[in-house]
Amino acid sequence: MNFLTSLGIPLHMDFDGQRRAEYLARFIITLFGIIGFIWGYYKQQFSLTVYTCGFGFTLAVLFTLPPWPMYRRKPLHWQKPKSDTDQKKKK
Amino acid sequence: MHSFLSRANAVAAYALSVLACLTFLCFLSTLFIDYRTEASINTIRTIVKSISNYNSDRKANDLGHITVDLRADLSPLFNWNVKQLFVYLYAEYETSSNSLNQVILWDKIIRRGENANLNFKNMNLKYYFWDDGNGLKGNKNITLTLSWNIIPNAGCLSHVNAVGQHSFSFPDEYTIAKQ
Repeated sequence: MNFLTSLGIPLHMDFDGQRRAEYLARFIITLFGIIGFIWGYYKQQFSLTVYTCGFGFTLAVLFTLPPWPMYRRKPLHWQKPKSDTDQKKKK
Repeated sequence: MHSFLSRANAVAAYALSVLACLTFLCFLSTLFIDYRTEASINTIRTIVKSISNYNSDRKANDLGHITVDLRADLSPLFNWNVKQLFVYLYAEYETSSNSLNQVILWDKIIRRGENANLNFKNMNLKYYFWDDGNGLKGNKNITLTLSWNIIPNAGCLSHVNAVGQHSFSFPDEYTIAKQ
């Protein structure tokens, strides 16, 4: 994974993006799990439940694994480092 | 969630947990279903021979030759938690040497989607009906029972007996095999 970062492709989300990515992944997988269970029970075919779960997993991977720009909107604002010359002037 | 790999790990782990949960719910949804159903069994030909059993000690043992009519509609047993049925027909009888003898005479695997409406007429059995001595000749109470294992997608392997048995008797004389 490090070679991607060295190519200039970012892999990190900011803190707010991480929270939203986790929430979205869980929401998608749970939703498709419930849909799959109801559908499979209705059709009396458990493989439909498994495939729907797999589809939800794929969707969650597509939406939350890559650090899309929407997860990078609130970067941390670091204070600017104080330079040595400023400290010398105060003395 | 701070790196690509930890996100992949979290998503995969959660998806697997959900799948395991749904599988358990599927097991719960079929836990209290009554899998008994009616079967009608009838014997057409019942003869008994005295033949050397070369599979064991070469002594002359009783070998029953029977053909049966078997009718049972097992298609209502299938649901989303039944992968296949293992259906078997067995005989139970008492002899002087054993209070309970059980011999499997016939079996069949029915996968889901295959024809589960059993209707056999004058069917030969799949396995030999050997007694371990001379207990078949003149035996007045031999009971045939149809029974099945339910092989589920998730859950326990259950043994179910059909409703309806058939009892018959073997003749008092051996049928002499033509040489």
